[in-house]
Amino acid sequence: MNVFHDDIISVLNLKNFYRGGFFVKKVLVVLMVALAVLSMAKIKIQFWHAMGGWRIDLIKSMAEEFMKLHPDIEVDVQYTGSYHDTLNKLIAAVKAGNPPHIVQIYDIGTQVMIDGGIAVPIQDLIDKDKSFDLGKFMPQVLNYYRVNGKLYSMPFNSSNPILYYNKTLFKKAGLDPNKPPRTFEELLEYAKKLTVKDANGNTIQYGITWPLHSWFFEQFMAVQNAPLVNNNNGRTGRPTKAVFDNEAGRRFFRLWYELTKNGWMINTKKEDWDEANQYFISQKAAMLITSTSDVAYIAKLAKQHGFELGTAFLPRPKNAKSGGVVIGGASLWIIGGHPQKEIQAAWEFVKFLTTTKMQIEWHTKTGYFPVRKDAVETLMNEGYYAKHPNMLTALLQLLLSVQNYNTNGAVIGAFPEVRQIIEDAVEKMLNGEMSPEDALAWAQKEATKAIQEYNEVYAY
Amino acid sequence: MSRKIIPYILLIPTFLIIIIFIYWPAVYSFKLSFYRISPFGNRMIFVGIRNFKNLFHDPDYITALKITAIYVSVSVALTIFASFFIALLLNMKVPGTPVYKALLFIPYAISPAISGTLWSFLLNPVVGHVNYFMSKFFGLRVEWLTTKPYALYAIIIASVWKVMPFDIIFYLAGVQNVPDDLLEASTLDGASTWTRIWKIIFPLLSPITFYLVIMNIISFMFSSFAIVDVMTRGGPGNYTTTMIYKLYLDAFAFQKTGIASAESVILFIIMTIVTIAYFYFGERRVHYQ
Amino acid sequence: MRRSTRRKINVILAEIALILITMVASMPLFLAVSISFQTPKEVFSYPPKLFPKSLYLHNYASAFDLVPLARLILNSTIMAVAITLGKLVTGLLSGYAYANFEFKGKNISFATLFATLFLPAETVMIVPLFLIMRKFGWVNTYWALTVPFMASATNTFLFRQHFKSIPKELEDAARIDGATPMQFLIKILLPLSKSMIGGAAIINFVYAWNMYLWPLIVTMEDNMKTVQIGVKMLIDAEAVNNWGVIMAGTIVVLIPTVVMFLVLQNMFVKSLVRSGMKG
Repeated sequence: MNVFHDDIISVLNLKNFYRGGFFVKKVLVVLMVALAVLSMAKIKIQFWHAMGGWRIDLIKSMAEEFMKLHPDIEVDVQYTGSYHDTLNKLIAAVKAGNPPHIVQIYDIGTQVMIDGGIAVPIQDLIDKDKSFDLGKFMPQVLNYYRVNGKLYSMPFNSSNPILYYNKTLFKKAGLDPNKPPRTFEELLEYAKKLTVKDANGNTIQYGITWPLHSWFFEQFMAVQNAPLVNNNNGRTGRPTKAVFDNEAGRRFFRLWYELTKNGWMINTKKEDWDEANQYFISQKAAMLITSTSDVAYIAKLAKQHGFELGTAFLPRPKNAKSGGVVIGGASLWIIGGHPQKEIQAAWEFVKFLTTTKMQIEWHTKTGYFPVRKDAVETLMNEGYYAKHPNMLTALLQLLLSVQNYNTNGAVIGAFPEVRQIIEDAVEKMLNGEMSPEDALAWAQKEATKAIQEYNEVYAY
Repeated sequence: MSRKIIPYILLIPTFLIIIIFIYWPAVYSFKLSFYRISPFGNRMIFVGIRNFKNLFHDPDYITALKITAIYVSVSVALTIFASFFIALLLNMKVPGTPVYKALLFIPYAISPAISGTLWSFLLNPVVGHVNYFMSKFFGLRVEWLTTKPYALYAIIIASVWKVMPFDIIFYLAGVQNVPDDLLEASTLDGASTWTRIWKIIFPLLSPITFYLVIMNIISFMFSSFAIVDVMTRGGPGNYTTTMIYKLYLDAFAFQKTGIASAESVILFIIMTIVTIAYFYFGERRVHYQ
Repeated sequence: MRRSTRRKINVILAEIALILITMVASMPLFLAVSISFQTPKEVFSYPPKLFPKSLYLHNYASAFDLVPLARLILNSTIMAVAITLGKLVTGLLSGYAYANFEFKGKNISFATLFATLFLPAETVMIVPLFLIMRKFGWVNTYWALTVPFMASATNTFLFRQHFKSIPKELEDAARIDGATPMQFLIKILLPLSKSMIGGAAIINFVYAWNMYLWPLIVTMEDNMKTVQIGVKMLIDAEAVNNWGVIMAGTIVVLIPTVVMFLVLQNMFVKSLVRSGMKG
């Protein structure tokens, strides 16, 4: 302290100043320390995500790990509710002028985000960053998020649906627990056999359940290699109409209708994933179709509830064209309008979340796919999948999927509304208000209306 | 300070809030209802009254209007009659009345969201008690929240349960004001209890009934949002999608700001009619009394 | 003789009816308490259980674990208290103006206020109100949760009517003694309105505590949410609906208003009825 004080005095004393380099050196040291302290001032970035429940803690711990590696960056992690809510909140925050740096947006929000023009395309950051190799990523995942040849956001959590089944109940019903249904026809047959009624004729066990969600319709369309909208599923131009009222769509609607009408399937309310899981876990339903993202959790609960769990690919209509599944889930968007330093920090964090190590952690703890090939390879070599065959099901299903516009997934601006319309149609059909054919035709008409309404603002 | 200025100062806080947070939004929604606006608000085009035209040609919106009308009128009727009846019972001051009162009033303090949660559980097909008792006593099992028409019944049950205490409180206060000799006299006349109730007491309480009908309409039109959101999410199909739920979906799920504003305007007009009716008929009734 | 037997029968019938009605109406709450103490196994058992085997407190711990309930309770308290105070202050001031003063524009301004009686802006005009919050930069702040609701026609009417019922002579006497209008309000009117204020406070508090749609859209981050949204968060929290935990959270959320309501029932009932009477 005193020394420093003296130095200031000595600055005034030119004689001293010229006398030697000692003082100059000291000033330099002080300057450097000051610079270091200044640059140590943490760069704060905000990250909004939609991964509820126990995943909140998982994401927090991942962020903490990042901060340990990058002590100069502070990541403020916020769980902002469902995918819907998160998009909503982003829009509000953008208008209010305080958007987060990174936000997790669901797959179907991609077009809305691009139209909003508020994001820094990931592609631009990748092009500038020589250390980053996109070649390590799974092409199936990249194909979904690449629109018009440009990668706008970083794939993060990807999943698709698989068939879960209760081997214990299979055995009870006299079915081979190692032969899950492979076709729609078999699915109907199995569901019938797995349905149990009590003396009063009330169903105490249903053959199958899945959440009443349009996602399953979308997936089963891809499974049959059929598009949802025109312009190559919206991938070669803004779609102008829905095109799912065809044999593929009808097959799936009819399947759903048959299962429900015969009392072999129990349905949930709209988009109620938990309810479907609950039917399956409480053994009220013997089969479940849902996202792979719950594999780890369901496997744990199955063990707790004392039944053996099996998983299988989605069944297909016997004679249908073979397609594949669409990558679902969400991706990470970097929002512009922040200082370059913060954008860079956000990019570092996004890169970190997609490192092999993090992707392995994410994959094995949740059931979402790793978005990188080398994560899969590492796990293969470690023999992970031999021990966790249920994890492998989804992965194989994805790897065996044909890659084309139909399986890359539709790009629709009005996707949230189209989903709602498809769900309404399904509910109308299940309640006997419309035949499967009418419901599908109605949904196509309404979806087209929604798409055109959305496009209207962009027509000028 | 002069007595002339003081009242204006006293009114400033109230009017600041009313004007900024009620009148301004009202005018704003009229303006926005003539536009089509992109989700992020970066595109905005003037469409005149097309948003309204589209709404009235949209079968979904028509359904929402119908469902709202049915849901509100059935719920109001049920609440009014059940509450009136319960208030009469409570007014008999049988032993234990304070306990019944306390228990019956509790749902007033409970939110619609919680009412929806409680009834979602009770009506849950797997773990709920209602289905268990129904199947035990009537051999009946119902998917309450996902099938027609039970989903509507379910939200009506949860709504009526929540709103009833409000009405009971008012009726009870009203019945207590009915002169005893009026009640006694009619008994001596040999008029049956039933006639006495419907011919004398109910008409006497008509100003209260009128007030309650208006208040209940508002509760069911708006607070019902939480119940629908928690219990059915507007399903099955759009079977329980009320106007306010539709407004929420269009505004905050589908980001159709212009169309949602048009829906706001329609709700605004409906509520203005209700207010005028309340003012007009309410005044008249009081004069008759 | 005939009359008294008939009366007796009526009383017995009424007693039975009331017992049945009360049982049915209390069922949801009773079962919620019961379920909140049941283990997951008990909750999922068939037939469903009416009583828990033992007091399983883990559900309550989980509820606080899954969502930041403590923080949500704090937020709801801040919101409800601020709205309550705001409504009381604005209501008392404007009610006083309308009850005790003659001034130009009284009728017009009163009609302007009256028109908003049945216009809950937070639902009817939710879209523009939300856009205004964005303009103010109030999204995800306590301002948005409180300020727009700090005045209401109902409160103004309630106090206007109450002040009108207080004899005019009192004000004249005070004026002769040299009290200013504000002194009269604070020193004389307020003490005379204690039970009215108390009742109105409960009505306002319950209203604010129970708001759902507005906090749902105007809050962004977990630490700004309110308890009602917390209930929804609990339902969505796990991949399987754990009803024991959901009910535990629900009980925590409803206790403040229910207890307040039970304790202050009489005061509250009087004010509520008053608020509905026209003056």
